[in-house]
Amino acid sequence: MIEIKGFLETSFLDWPGKLCSVFFLPYCNFRCPYCHNHPLVFNPEQYVTIPLEDILTRLHSLRNWIDGVCLTGGEPTLHADLPLLIREIKRHRFLVKLDTNGSNPQMLENLIETGEIDFVSMDVKAPLDPFRYSRSTGLPINLKPISESIEILKRGKVEYEFRMTVVPGLHREEDIQTLGDQLRVGRRFVLQNFNPENPLDPLLKNSVPYDLKVLKKIEKEVQEIL
Amino acid sequence: MATVIDIKGDHQEFKEEVETTDMALFVRTSDEAMLGWDRQRIVDALIRETYVDFDTAKEIAREVEDLIATSKIKMITAPLIRELVDTKLVERGLEQARKMHTRLGMPLYDVDQLILHPNKENANVPHGPEATNLTLAERIKKEYALLSVFSQEIADAHMRGDIHLHDLGFIDRPYCSGQSLEYIKRFGLSLPNSIAMAKPAKHPEVLLAHMVKFAAALQSHFAGAIGWDSINLFFAPYLVGMSDQELEQLAQMMIFEFSQQAVARGGQAIFTDLNLYWEIPKHFENVPAIGPGGEFTGKTYSDYLEESQRFAKALFDIYQEGDGSGRPFFFPKPLVHITEKFFKTPGHMDFLYHICDVASEKGNTYFVFDRGETAKISECCRLSFKLDQTDLEDAKQPWKMRYCALQNVTLNLPRIAYLAKGEDSKLFSKIAEFVQMAVKAHLEKKLFIEKLLSLGEKGPLALLAMERDGSPYLRMHRASFLVGMVGLNELVQIHTGQEMHQSKQAFKFGLKVIAHMKLLVDKFSQRYGMRFVLEQTPAESTAYRFAKLDLKFHSPKSGHIVKGDLSKGEVYYTNSTYLNNSAVLNPIERVRQEGLFHPLIEAGALTHIWLGEARPLKSSLANFVIKTFQLTQNDQVAFSPEFTTCNRCYRTSRGLRSSCVYCGSEDVDGITRITGYFTKVSSWNKGKIGELRNRYRNQTFLKEKEEGMALES
Ligand code: SF4
Ligand SMILES: [Zn+2]
Repeated sequence: MIEIKGFLETSFLDWPGKLCSVFFLPYCNFRCPYCHNHPLVFNPEQYVTIPLEDILTRLHSLRNWIDGVCLTGGEPTLHADLPLLIREIKRHRFLVKLDTNGSNPQMLENLIETGEIDFVSMDVKAPLDPFRYSRSTGLPINLKPISESIEILKRGKVEYEFRMTVVPGLHREEDIQTLGDQLRVGRRFVLQNFNPENPLDPLLKNSVPYDLKVLKKIEKEVQEIL
Repeated sequence: MATVIDIKGDHQEFKEEVETTDMALFVRTSDEAMLGWDRQRIVDALIRETYVDFDTAKEIAREVEDLIATSKIKMITAPLIRELVDTKLVERGLEQARKMHTRLGMPLYDVDQLILHPNKENANVPHGPEATNLTLAERIKKEYALLSVFSQEIADAHMRGDIHLHDLGFIDRPYCSGQSLEYIKRFGLSLPNSIAMAKPAKHPEVLLAHMVKFAAALQSHFAGAIGWDSINLFFAPYLVGMSDQELEQLAQMMIFEFSQQAVARGGQAIFTDLNLYWEIPKHFENVPAIGPGGEFTGKTYSDYLEESQRFAKALFDIYQEGDGSGRPFFFPKPLVHITEKFFKTPGHMDFLYHICDVASEKGNTYFVFDRGETAKISECCRLSFKLDQTDLEDAKQPWKMRYCALQNVTLNLPRIAYLAKGEDSKLFSKIAEFVQMAVKAHLEKKLFIEKLLSLGEKGPLALLAMERDGSPYLRMHRASFLVGMVGLNELVQIHTGQEMHQSKQAFKFGLKVIAHMKLLVDKFSQRYGMRFVLEQTPAESTAYRFAKLDLKFHSPKSGHIVKGDLSKGEVYYTNSTYLNNSAVLNPIERVRQEGLFHPLIEAGALTHIWLGEARPLKSSLANFVIKTFQLTQNDQVAFSPEFTTCNRCYRTSRGLRSSCVYCGSEDVDGITRITGYFTKVSSWNKGKIGELRNRYRNQTFLKEKEEGMALES
């Protein structure tokens, strides 16, 4: 079974309108320079695995409060047995949200078709062209699965949002506009400010994040694109 | 008052004169006149100030004169003369007379320090000439209080740190109060001793001006918070027909007026609470509304729901913006009452999202939960109470709804546990003893305030004695007397070996202690016909003071108990009935468990959720708030984010950082909630800094192999 390496019991910021717990799953097929979970993602061996049983027992005592579980990483869809984990959580009658970078459309589609997940948050890294996408993910990227995942979500069979972490130096304002244009999902496109605390690429430590007010303004603009 | 013989003058001349002409001393009286040495003044002072008989006084005066003459003292000061007289009183065993003859004041060194260095006892006090004036006055009044207002038993208990008498420097004022805007709407602004009298306001801006003036006047008559009930509702009749823009401007004026530091006493912002309702509170539904000019409008407050709601929204729009550099407003604090009726009032979800957005972005919002059918009003950050039958009668004439807490006395609970040495019976009898001390302190303060009030509109508390509606502004029969506590967690830890979050039994024991205290204050309330209530003490400096004193008196045991960093001197006890600040407890458990105490703590209570850097989604916060209302007994919740504000580029970012994320400058201030309000971290006392380092901010649980636990944000 998948090893759970980090656990946040109560999150106010991972699932709009819900209180959820967050499970952190290890490993990722991208190398985003601004990734701030990287010790957990790339060196998970240094952390103890938290037994699922223990977590579920804890969650039971929070039954009336916790609406669901958010699976994040890393990239959860890298684990072939992710559906098993999701089924186990659902068996305990919690809703499930999946965070993904969109690199595994098949699994995503299966999970949606079988009604196993209730919300998907997909990270979009840059405008959808191979050069810029690769620059933002730190690896040569095949855009095809990414685009497929976007299409799958846009069918609307499950609630979803697209999240972009905005990093100065990597993303200019036009890039956000362009991506907004490509997605055309209105308020389902949300921006996140980059956190310079502990990025994978130490050079980014000195990057100055966007002014929040400015970011909010841009977000408002791109959310008007439908 | 020439009772104090003040010698100063030009020391140069002085010395020579002493040497040549024996006792040709010049003394400067506090009337700023130079007088020659006259030992009769010592006699006069002794007769006037003490019960010493004339012969003894004469004898003492002569002895002191001899002493000065023979000692060849080169420089003599008035305090010295007084001290010399006091030693003579001591020699004669006249202890009582010595006490009465004592001089209050401060050493030169202390005054020097005070003028040059900031005061950290209360982070709400800036440093500056006004602030030092305040501190100097407070120091003397504090001594006065301990010598002359309280009995020796109580004063000693305070000095030892068994109990803490709050705001001793404000001994001649009641503690905190709650107002009704209706009072100034109806009676205008006519303060005793003020030359101009203002008729009831005709326009909203004027009403606001009256409110601000009145608040400033009240601030100089109370030690602590000034709360305003249902402020959006009571403004409503003045707001009919105003455009959104005008409304926003008024809201902006209100918040800026109360947030500016430069007003009134000691350069301190007025500690203001604005109580807000989305609905028309049940007890005001059928109350005739007062409108412009102090006239009844012919309608009831139910007819002003729309204006009231629009104003509440406008206020939160301003909070959302923050001040000029995007920082949260420290004051006034908005307290939104969440009631059964709130959820039945249309538009409540949008409003809830709005105030949750502010809570997430800026942290200002306080969510006050009034469950069931009981009405409550909050009069200061921690003090809210249920309206009983007479209050509900008053509600029909809302200007009568003026409340106050006369004093706050806090018990050092860990001290009790050290003294009990693990014996249950001893512990509970000690608790009773400590509560009784608090009650005695309250009786003594009440007596003193009553003495001041009895001088009426000519006395020092004229404002509180004024009778515009047939009864004095301060309604003594409705006063509360607060009994606070610090360190329940440590009491339990010392007594049972476990902190409250560590086991169910430990937690239960904590509840038992508070239930016992509640029983005691209820008993005393009956006995004296006064309202003694338990309070969660804000304990900004008390938690630090108690910990320091116990390190002195109960070491080595206390060394293992106090929280914080011993080596840095950053020590504290956990506030009131709170669970350990650093305990890895998710917010749900915190509101749930801390909430179990709230029904016992009548004078309001509050759970803090420290957010750190995290910026929650408004919709998820709203979800949490609703569940807190439905599933717990918690009385009040606030979410506290942390900020770093830059003194170079004037921008504000999330989280506490050592340098500005925008411009890299290291000239930054951290901002977050201290106890009940926001301040700059740089102004905190050491104990609070220790607590800040320890606060658990809902981080992710990660466990590194072998090396123990690591928390990552
Ligand atoms: S997708 Fe990028 S940011 Fe997300 S875990 Fe992988 S490397 Fe880190
Ligand atoms: Zn800066």
